[in-house]
Amino acid sequence: MKSKRLKANLRFSLLTGGALAAVLVFYLLAGRYPRPGLLNPFTLGQDPIAVRVLLSLRLPRALGAILLGAVLGGSGAVFQSIFGNPLVDSGFLGVSQGAAFGAALSLLAGATGFYAVAGLSFVFALAALWISLWLSKTFTFGGQVLRLLLAGLAVSAFFSALLGAVKYAADPLSQLPDIVFWTMGSLSPMGWQRLSFILPPSLVSLILLLLLRWRATLLSLDDSVSHALGLRPETERAFLASAAALGVATVTAVCGVVSWVGLVVPQVVRLRSGADGRSVIPLSMAGGALFVLISDGIARVLFPGELPLGIVTSILGALAFALLLSRRKMELLR
Amino acid sequence: MSRLEAEALCFSRPGIKNLLTDVSLSLEAGRIIAVLGANGAGKTSLLSLLAGKLKPGRGRVLLEGTELSSLSPREIALKIAFLPQIERLPFNYPVLDFVLLGRAPHISPLSLPGQGDYRAARKALEEAGVASLEARGAATLSGGEFQLVRIARCLAQESGILLLDEPSSLLDPAHAAAVAQKLSDLAKSGMAILFTTHDIGLAYSVADTAILLHQGRLINPGSAKRLFDMDTLKKAFGAEFTELSLPSAYSPRA
Repeated sequence: MKSKRLKANLRFSLLTGGALAAVLVFYLLAGRYPRPGLLNPFTLGQDPIAVRVLLSLRLPRALGAILLGAVLGGSGAVFQSIFGNPLVDSGFLGVSQGAAFGAALSLLAGATGFYAVAGLSFVFALAALWISLWLSKTFTFGGQVLRLLLAGLAVSAFFSALLGAVKYAADPLSQLPDIVFWTMGSLSPMGWQRLSFILPPSLVSLILLLLLRWRATLLSLDDSVSHALGLRPETERAFLASAAALGVATVTAVCGVVSWVGLVVPQVVRLRSGADGRSVIPLSMAGGALFVLISDGIARVLFPGELPLGIVTSILGALAFALLLSRRKMELLR
Repeated sequence: MSRLEAEALCFSRPGIKNLLTDVSLSLEAGRIIAVLGANGAGKTSLLSLLAGKLKPGRGRVLLEGTELSSLSPREIALKIAFLPQIERLPFNYPVLDFVLLGRAPHISPLSLPGQGDYRAARKALEEAGVASLEARGAATLSGGEFQLVRIARCLAQESGILLLDEPSSLLDPAHAAAVAQKLSDLAKSGMAILFTTHDIGLAYSVADTAILLHQGRLINPGSAKRLFDMDTLKKAFGAEFTELSLPSAYSPRA
């Protein structure tokens, strides 16, 4: 059976990889230079501007989309596994709302430079994570999963309220549009510099999640069972949640809040690969990358002015989620 | 040397004093101990202490001569397999993958199960008599099948000691008898087994020794056959016993 499943997963991986490569080529060639449509790859040699557009704008943005999608998809799969709950997503534990508040605060204070916005956003995303972990330890009831879920809910609501306060205080003409645009998520400013900013922490997060992917499956069991199998469930769950949140905090700090990827992609992947972390985590990374690359392609090309990426992923994600539910394809055992 | 030994264990929880008082027992290879008692008598606490999940207030648990509290969860899991009474299944894992999780103590945190682990998981499925369920989703199994699959996951640990919390509580008589038979076979192959139960028939049919817990204290340790002393049962369970009859599937161990 192992080999049968391996073959099925290999086929699925090759399919996802092939689709990713094809979409990447399409993504790089599609755009509005020199006219709306596809660049001719055979005439690139005669058009130095096209080469610059491709290498300086579209390529780093495509790689950014792949990285963003991989982080959100992979961390969503990990969160769903370690909390034994398919309805948890990657912005869980207050990370997304903390990041949004940090960025908004920076914009409100007039620090609109990339490092200021991304830096403050990153700091508040990690602060939200830390507060969630700390708060969950102060609760004296329930298991760790329930305590973390409740703490994450409270911290998300708290930072969401603070974000509302910042929006209320922001200048409606000069600051509010920037804040609103940031919270909708976008890859439009992604260049080599920003890519190099998010690459190291994102890679650390992705590598840790990949290395610990079977551990995530073990942590999906009841704590009494995983403890009996030799784990320290509370410590290991907190470590894996922090590793996943590190990646999410990094990409959110630069790209804004991009919702639904971490929730829906692992659901779809799980239908094909089964729930074992050994397959669902790497394939959710690949699936997330594919989903965000397609979404950003749509966001970039569909209209003359760009659509915020978060709107496209939310529309596609919500549709996919509704489809999964209506066809009773979602695994919801508890 | 005993595989697992409890010395004068005392245990309290916040707000509940003396859940266990001076409980001692010794579990040898190839032997089965049944722990009986009414709800709240301290059976699950005793099992959790023996599995290293809880720490005693006083007394100690020795695993092959080493104090349990000095061992890591992984070191314990290499020698003791513990099956909690109930277990929620978060996702519909295939049975083979589910049993493979029992290999966790043998695999370092950064590694994945290898061919040898798959072999051990398949062997455990065979030993538990559920090899035919290998490709099924664990969430699609009946309660009895799932219990045997969970026992298979314990066997995949290759631990030598098996602790089970009320292994037959959710099972019909036929499946309970299947579990009883399995425990009996495992003990014959040298495994040391201790289980808690309300099922007097199960204790009678498979256990070498039966221990009755009453308000955290041990009463009437001895042969399982002595369980049929009606006065002792009345003391332990607080109910009148008149006549006991067992399904014929339960056959006392020779």
